[in-house]
Amino acid sequence: MKLKTGSFLWYLYLDKVYCLLSVRNVKVLVEYFHLLDVHGKNTLNDVLFYHFLHHVTDLKKKQIKIVFDMLDWNAVGEIGFDQFYILVCILLAHQNHLEEQFLYRHSRPVFDLLDLDGEERIGEATFQMYRFLFNIHKQELTELFHEFDVTGDQLLNYKEFKLYTIFSMDKYQKRQQAERKRKSLSSKPHIKW
Amino acid sequence: MHLDTLGPGEGKVNPSSDIRDLWTTATLSESQLNLPLSEVCENFDEEGICVDKTQWYRRNGSWEDDEEDEGNSYPEELDEQTLPEQEPHQGSSTEPHVGEKGDDSKIKAEKPSSMSSVEGFTHSPHLAYWAEQQNRLPLPLRELMKNEALEILNKALRSYRSGIGREHFLTKELQRYIDGIKKRQDTGQNI
Repeated sequence: MKLKTGSFLWYLYLDKVYCLLSVRNVKVLVEYFHLLDVHGKNTLNDVLFYHFLHHVTDLKKKQIKIVFDMLDWNAVGEIGFDQFYILVCILLAHQNHLEEQFLYRHSRPVFDLLDLDGEERIGEATFQMYRFLFNIHKQELTELFHEFDVTGDQLLNYKEFKLYTIFSMDKYQKRQQAERKRKSLSSKPHIKW
Repeated sequence: MHLDTLGPGEGKVNPSSDIRDLWTTATLSESQLNLPLSEVCENFDEEGICVDKTQWYRRNGSWEDDEEDEGNSYPEELDEQTLPEQEPHQGSSTEPHVGEKGDDSKIKAEKPSSMSSVEGFTHSPHLAYWAEQQNRLPLPLRELMKNEALEILNKALRSYRSGIGREHFLTKELQRYIDGIKKRQDTGQNI
């Protein structure tokens, strides 16, 4: 999943620690949303939403449809700015390789989004369907369920999901440290005796 | 929602996000400004006059706090007198009196912001900004936003027409809305 280079959203960015937009970015995003709010209802219907996401990303029609279904948590056939905002944050987190941090910082809203039927549990099939939003590989997701399904019910409750995000974040930070170390070693001049 | 950002050395830096990393921590230090525009950007000649047809605008004030934004004019409100004077000058000020040529006043430091590089672009060869111009990415952001919204809405209109027909009230409403945006854009360009 990629944001199209040069699109309006491509110019926005998330704070790298808290994975949220700045006030300035939110203000502009509100304006953008209202530009697309053709019918003056502070919402985007499925057609407008489809064309928006199709225009700014490389997502396929099927993917856009399931994203809309995920965001339309009230099943009213429209999404409001709150849902739009969280979608933009997810897109930007993916674009800027902040998926682990985003999941860690916003585990509750993400869990609520993935909990499609409101059972406070996420099944593997559901998570597999939406893994493209968070750049999680299929095998990685299977292992996740195997390792973090503490209760053994083939579903993740919120605590298990949170544990996964903590673990994932920890792995990400160690990867960053290793990368920084490698870079600092490679930047040191080699002295030949 | 506004929080301190990490510097460019922290976090994973993707080559494709270089521009925004520069914007995040960009400050208009003077040492970065003493570059002839023709060396930085192929779209400007030795005198710093834009030879590209891309439409530019600048705000009257500097692009700082959100609280200050409300008092500043938007692109479509600029008058013709200001537009021809949008020639980038080296090391000159981003203050409102920037229309005066040969101004050697210093550039003030910007706050980190995704749009901070728009500040004073006509008078300071900000590297992040000019690097972006090299790739011919459209600026300013507001104009891009409107154009993009128009493209999306035109595609939606085609879907409305094929889905619910030309005579449906929603299709007509969308058509009127698009016409309204185009009219406002044209009016803005004519000022």
